Amino acid sequence: MAGSNEVNLNESRRVVPLNTWVLISNFKLAYNLQRRPDGTFNRDLSEFLDRKVPANINPVDGVFSFDHVDGGTGLLNRVYQPSSQNEAQWGIVDLEKPLSTTEIVPVIVFFHGGSFTHSSANSAIYDTFCRRVVSFCKAVVVSVNYRRSPEHRYPCAYDDGWAALKWVKSRTWLQSGKDSKVYVYLAGDSSGGNIAHHVAVRAAEADVEVLGNILLHPMFGGQRRTESEKRLDGKYFVTLLDRDWYWRAYLPEGEDRDHPACNPFGPRGKSLKGLKFPKSLLVVAGLDLIQDWQLAYVEGLRRSGQEVKLLFLEKATIGFYFLPNNDHFYCLMEEIKNFVTSNC
Amino acid sequence: MVPYDSATSAGSSSGSSSSSSYKPPQQQQQDIDRLLAGAGYKVRSSELRQVAQRLERLEIAMVNSPADFFHLASDAIHRNPSDLASWVDSLLSECTQPPTCPSEFIMDPVTNQAVVNNAWTTTEPHTPQVHQNISFEQQSLNHQLTVVTAMEEDSGIRLVHMLMMCAECVQRGDLPLATSLIDDMQRLLMRVNTVCGIGKVAGHFIDALSCRIFQGFGGGPVNGGSAYENEILYHHFYEACPYLKFAHFTANQAILEAFDGHDCVHVVDFNLMHGLQWPALIQALALRPGGPPLLRLTGIGPPSPDGRDSLREIGLRLAELARSVNVRFTFRGVAASRLEDVKPWMLQVNPKEAVAVNSIMQLHRLLGADPTRNSPIQTVLSWIRSLNPKIMTVVEQEANHNQPGFLDRFTEALYYYSTMFDSLEACTVQPEKALAEIYIQREIANVVSCEGSARVERHEPLAKWRTRLNGAGFRPLHLGSNAFKQASMLLTLFSAEGYLVEENEGCLTLGWHSRPLISASAWHAVPDAAAEIPAWDGSSTIISRAES
Repeated sequence: MAGSNEVNLNESRRVVPLNTWVLISNFKLAYNLQRRPDGTFNRDLSEFLDRKVPANINPVDGVFSFDHVDGGTGLLNRVYQPSSQNEAQWGIVDLEKPLSTTEIVPVIVFFHGGSFTHSSANSAIYDTFCRRVVSFCKAVVVSVNYRRSPEHRYPCAYDDGWAALKWVKSRTWLQSGKDSKVYVYLAGDSSGGNIAHHVAVRAAEADVEVLGNILLHPMFGGQRRTESEKRLDGKYFVTLLDRDWYWRAYLPEGEDRDHPACNPFGPRGKSLKGLKFPKSLLVVAGLDLIQDWQLAYVEGLRRSGQEVKLLFLEKATIGFYFLPNNDHFYCLMEEIKNFVTSNC
Repeated sequence: MVPYDSATSAGSSSGSSSSSSYKPPQQQQQDIDRLLAGAGYKVRSSELRQVAQRLERLEIAMVNSPADFFHLASDAIHRNPSDLASWVDSLLSECTQPPTCPSEFIMDPVTNQAVVNNAWTTTEPHTPQVHQNISFEQQSLNHQLTVVTAMEEDSGIRLVHMLMMCAECVQRGDLPLATSLIDDMQRLLMRVNTVCGIGKVAGHFIDALSCRIFQGFGGGPVNGGSAYENEILYHHFYEACPYLKFAHFTANQAILEAFDGHDCVHVVDFNLMHGLQWPALIQALALRPGGPPLLRLTGIGPPSPDGRDSLREIGLRLAELARSVNVRFTFRGVAASRLEDVKPWMLQVNPKEAVAVNSIMQLHRLLGADPTRNSPIQTVLSWIRSLNPKIMTVVEQEANHNQPGFLDRFTEALYYYSTMFDSLEACTVQPEKALAEIYIQREIANVVSCEGSARVERHEPLAKWRTRLNGAGFRPLHLGSNAFKQASMLLTLFSAEGYLVEENEGCLTLGWHSRPLISASAWHAVPDAAAEIPAWDGSSTIISRAES
């Protein structure tokens, strides 16, 4: 459990709306119950408590979704698309035609968060989030149901991410534009952001084009304790102890947090200099205790000569994007929209 | 920008989330927080704060008691996680210590009677004599009931004590302790009958305190609800207990007398609502010896949204009634969000007519002093005087809820509203009673959790109003023994034992047992010269010009 007996409840209450506070505190509580001190995880309880929703081929507020299984890997992907202007097309999924032959429609491969351990592509919070992204950006979103820890450690999530990327790039029905290609972006929040980075590296090394990376308070870390970790430990829903638990559950047994999966620009990391790495949009929440690692990541990208835009939301806590009841949410949606439509 | 706010197929709820707890049954679905619904959780907006507190409570419990934590993690049964309030409650109940009550039973093996331990008996000799031929279930039920009563009294006293402590913490700014007291009180409340008595009113005060403490959440307008809702609640408050009926009756009587001999009369009502006061006056004027005057009614009320003109609708209905009793009648509505926004020219008072200004629980709303503006109460009283009214009828809550010190205000309100709730027990008609309670609850919330311009329920006692009105150039009109007798009679016709009309230096008050809760008084304006002279008013001391 939390290392200190001091429960810092006052701060988080004052910075988020009430329903957000209830939502995230509920997750915190539920997750506490699921993690066992010996490093094992109560997956049954987790699946029971997770609110899930089915896909819906019929448009709801202009977005429809369907689940598709990758024959090769057995991986489930949930696809979200803007509904057609033509009502006659509603309820029908066409897996033959491209998204458009004239316009460019960005396809965002999204890796949900959950510290590698929690949530699924069909979790209500992520289903709703993906729908909102589609709505705002007029993009297609493919949410990947990657395998989770501790049952499946590194590098499973990255393997699944890479497989999903290849799958997406090879779908003719996800192509768009005059030159019929899939305009793909990678995105993710928390652990999903971490996955997006590593998949992008693999893609760059294999010369597979990814147009951009969107990392929403991505989960990075390292062995030493940074200033932000010490200052914000336990104050805004997240504790260092739980961060440690999740890394122990994801990284290979016996590894420490300077493993390059966790600390890509750390002592065991590698430079991305000269690599054709996509441009990045990094969103950092000012009340996230691991922000120093995220800022170090930005630094690492810049030192490698890679293009990165930092969106620092000073008063945001983790999970600010789950409910559209604050400015940060709308700011984020604008930024993502601009990011995926700028160079198309 | 597209605010995406509907849930997926899992369940979409429409309607706005609001902090109001009044919803006709079919609208309760719409009280569900739709954003949380999109995340897969069904929580009513009105319950959000409570759920938040319980989550905190659970967190504290888990940190402090690893045993509880492990139990919750491994053995607890989790029911319907979507219903967040229940899920949290069920975890909390698995966490907390069981109440000590049941273990206080002992069975007397000889007589086979359940005997209640002395610690729990009330002051009366209590253990009911249970005959042996009554079944065991019946016996234990009787004793459970009696033990509950004992617990309740004990819990009731504890609740009051904790409420005072909490208010004192709030005044001192010790929010952590106040929050912890709120949690304790809510748990205690779970063991107390909240259907009546101290449990009911305590619950409202706990809510109001917690709203005040958690203000960082932007708790929403406590005075909340639309004008339409407010009117409905007011109407039910009118039906459920005699306070408003008394107010209307007394004021009408005084107005009728003041209008004697005048052919053109004009009533200015500071808060029309559904115009409940006026049919009786119209009918009384119709029956006036010598025939009815030409009656003008100017009703002031909040603007109606969505294109309705509710003021006009009320006016039309009153006109219809007047027509049916042959009283020449015209109505004019003045829509204003605040009384201080009304300018006298809007009332179009004719110098030849006799004017009556009628204020039912409106003047106190003007007492919120904004140091940068002219005091609204002075402004309004001054233009009332400029209308040269024949009479101004003033009804106000007889309470001291405008003291600067929070604890004083809180204490006063606790006693005042406890008394009022007690008096409401006499009413058994539903839904009048339930809605009347919500009406009162909103007042409580405003007195306790609001500040500055948001706090409009700034009740002051009759003595203070006398000073204020005297200082503003008004003199009291004695309400007369007739009014008193008739008010008493009205009460016996309409209400239960316990209500009491009293006379207080020419004013009337209505209260519950020995506590006056509402006062009615009548005034007229004196010419300017006289206003400069401090008034000697019977038994009161010499007063100087009032500072608002």
